[in-house]
Amino acid sequence: MAMGLTRLVAIAFALLLVSILPLHVSLAGEITSIESVPDLQKLMYVAVDGYPCVRLLNLSGEIGCSNPGLNKVVAPIIKLKDIKDSDQQHTILVTADEMEDFFTRVSSDVSFASKIGGVLVESGSSFQHKLTGFSPDKKFPQAQFSPYENVDYKWNSAASSIMWKNYNFPVYLLSESGISAVQEILSKKKMKHETYTTDVAEFNMVMETTKAGTHNSEACLQEGTCLPLGGYSVWSSLPPISVSSSNKRKPIVLTVASMDSASFFRDKSFGADSPISGLVALLGAVDALSRVDGFDNLKKQLVFLVLTGETWGYLGSRRFLHELDLHSDAVAGLTDTSIETVLELGSVGKGLSGGVNTFFAHKTRVSSVTNMTVDALKIAQDSLASMKIKILSADSANPGIPPSSLMAFMKKNPQTSAVVLEDFDTKFVNKFYHSHLDDLSNINSSSVVAAASVVARTLYILASDNKDTSNSALGSIHVNASFVEELLTCLLACEPGLSCNLVKDYISPTNTCPGNYAGVILGEPSSKPYLGYVGDVSRFLWNFLADKTSVQKGNTTSVCSKGVCSKSDEVCIKAESNKEGACVVSTTRYVPAYSTRLKYNDGAWTILPQNSSDSMGMVDPVWTESNWDTIRVRVYTVQHSAYDNAVLVAGITVTTLAYIGIMATKSLITKALKQD
Amino acid sequence: MTVAAGIGYALVALGPSLSLFVSVISRKPFLILTVLSSTLLWLVSLIILSGLWRPFLPLKANVWWPYALLVVTSVCFQEGLRFLFWKVYKRLEDVLDSFADRISRPRLFLTDKLQIALAGGLGHGVAHAVFFCLSLLTPAFGPATFYVERCSKVPFFLISAIIGLAFVTIHTFSMVIAFEGYAKGNRVDQVIVPVIHLAAGMLTLVNFASEGCVIGVPLLYLVASLTLVHCGKMVWQRLLETRNQSSASG
Repeated sequence: MAMGLTRLVAIAFALLLVSILPLHVSLAGEITSIESVPDLQKLMYVAVDGYPCVRLLNLSGEIGCSNPGLNKVVAPIIKLKDIKDSDQQHTILVTADEMEDFFTRVSSDVSFASKIGGVLVESGSSFQHKLTGFSPDKKFPQAQFSPYENVDYKWNSAASSIMWKNYNFPVYLLSESGISAVQEILSKKKMKHETYTTDVAEFNMVMETTKAGTHNSEACLQEGTCLPLGGYSVWSSLPPISVSSSNKRKPIVLTVASMDSASFFRDKSFGADSPISGLVALLGAVDALSRVDGFDNLKKQLVFLVLTGETWGYLGSRRFLHELDLHSDAVAGLTDTSIETVLELGSVGKGLSGGVNTFFAHKTRVSSVTNMTVDALKIAQDSLASMKIKILSADSANPGIPPSSLMAFMKKNPQTSAVVLEDFDTKFVNKFYHSHLDDLSNINSSSVVAAASVVARTLYILASDNKDTSNSALGSIHVNASFVEELLTCLLACEPGLSCNLVKDYISPTNTCPGNYAGVILGEPSSKPYLGYVGDVSRFLWNFLADKTSVQKGNTTSVCSKGVCSKSDEVCIKAESNKEGACVVSTTRYVPAYSTRLKYNDGAWTILPQNSSDSMGMVDPVWTESNWDTIRVRVYTVQHSAYDNAVLVAGITVTTLAYIGIMATKSLITKALKQD
Repeated sequence: MTVAAGIGYALVALGPSLSLFVSVISRKPFLILTVLSSTLLWLVSLIILSGLWRPFLPLKANVWWPYALLVVTSVCFQEGLRFLFWKVYKRLEDVLDSFADRISRPRLFLTDKLQIALAGGLGHGVAHAVFFCLSLLTPAFGPATFYVERCSKVPFFLISAIIGLAFVTIHTFSMVIAFEGYAKGNRVDQVIVPVIHLAAGMLTLVNFASEGCVIGVPLLYLVASLTLVHCGKMVWQRLLETRNQSSASG
């Protein structure tokens, strides 16, 4: 007995030793500790972060991407270079430099397109060096709105037109974290046996228009499965216009910029050079001019207008001009006087080359007004000698003005005398026009500061009708460079993004990452919209412009809550985020931006028939975006079904064998007991 | 891994217990009660242990000795509880025997006692499998699978099911050995049960090493088969003894 005991203890001790020995060797390395079943699920189903391409519709059909049906798309991941002939649909992993060729091939080769289940685009910083240019837009963006005949002129040399085609599969741009998640799962595969597992991506990008079978704007607006693109433009006047006063109105110098961009991917379209650099230059100029006194005594009125929806058929400018015709509330104060001069700020972020900031003034037509504007620009340039700015007239060999809001102004009234300031002459210098790569690294902040400075002084010269450069007031107009740089990081980066102090001072943003895509217009369009339906950037611009163009009556500012001020010419600014706002005297209004072919009635949108008096409405595609529920992409590993069935069979076998063993033992024991 | 695989894993871990339950335990209501009470006791022991260890959690993931300490303390505690369980059972057995005497019915046979011990062990084993394997199995019914880096040849769920099956076997049969050991005062049997339990627990620590499961799991099955063989030998000896006794006296 004792011998048996010691023997057993010896065996146990030996087992213990054996178990402990290998442990001191290798416990280093990553252990992701799983503390609960939800943790395990998160490790199994890796959620991938990124930006989708969504379904957009127009009068004749659809563009963009979507799941082909109602179900999730699950397809094994494969790199583009590893694609072979096979019947199965795959998720193709495409790098940014392969994107243009890939999508061009998809549109032309039907058999290639049928092999695609979904697309994941990798656009890390490592690929951006390889790309010299990438633009998914057309050679002449929005050519149908051009006021001149030559619609084949190639403004955009890097164009590929891929964002205007229809794709019957989901496309997803991976963010930095998304890229590392996918790379991790693909690298783990090399450790495991490749024969019985596959890595798959699951796309949940079902678009409501696909579900409902409505494949153009008219049908989907009728069914309510989509919403029209648009938003809210903002205008403000310096100094404030008193609507009630019977004083003769001064002629207006209108400065225009736009706030919306677009790209292949809905949420990653910063539009740094085109057009946000122009917007920031305008805001820098407004900031500089707000510090100048005596605007009441100047000969002309300055009005600043920031439009949205310009990428989708010049929705902002067309609606603004329409509202002027209608003499509506949205443009009260502008209609009983003439808009004498228009200066548009286009892309001004890439003017710096060889230490000099060069900008080109494109005139709509040659007239005394445009000559005066260009002269004012040159005077401003000379007064800013230290900043090394050069203003040049655009090449007369150009067919006309480049794609800009002025095209809409010209189409409406061919006699418009206006100038658009750009950083290019005969073709875009922005090689990433309307792409996800037109971000902060694509522009130079000093170019934007230079543009803001020259525009601020030009506007002062135009408003005062004064050509005297030694005017001390002109010399005192300085743009705050750090303000411009901060604003660029607020509108063109996710860190700090719209949570930067500058923006948070005025509004409480709903998103941190600025998505400069125009988005859809929610609710009923009105000049006093429900602020929950107005986008972050529009609300910021309204509050900012109202603040900068405001005039303090006396030195007291009354507080306002609920956005209501007692006096009629006062507005309530900075009233968001539980703060009490301040009432200031300012003329700042929202103008809805949506197609002139649409009408809102009883909660639904209808498309108006073509009207020959609205020439731009005749060529308007009437863009809408499909409704969608959730957009989510997950990546995980899947076993082959043979393996799953093998496991089931193994389980059943083990159970049956155990049962047989137990029955056998039972009969053995009964037999043993009965042998007496 | 789909529903088929999920059911497969559940059957690998708990299929034999199901077979045992259906063929032996379900015939006698008293055995079902024993299984349930034993399961409850095991879960209570886990709750108390987790309460005791709570201040020290979470354990650092890259040193192994806190886990060894955890295993040792848990095994000692559970073996102590096993002895208590036996004491309660002994009291119950005396009550049942005296009741049987009063109504002139036969007392508990050896096979009855062995079956009660088996039911007690099964309760422990099923509780272990449910707690350590079945509770993690819900994600296995979805489409994805999961491989742990340190055991990259086999899916996580399969390994946990296999380990679960080993522990079910160990718990079930070591309870039989323990009860007989305590009843007969047999030192070997009394000591071997805690030793086996401890060895099995420590062997799971081998899985911490990279690809350690290739060594750890077969060794664990070695321990399980040792338990099974020892239990079989012991039961066979006792049966032969009883048969000789009854033939000698009858």
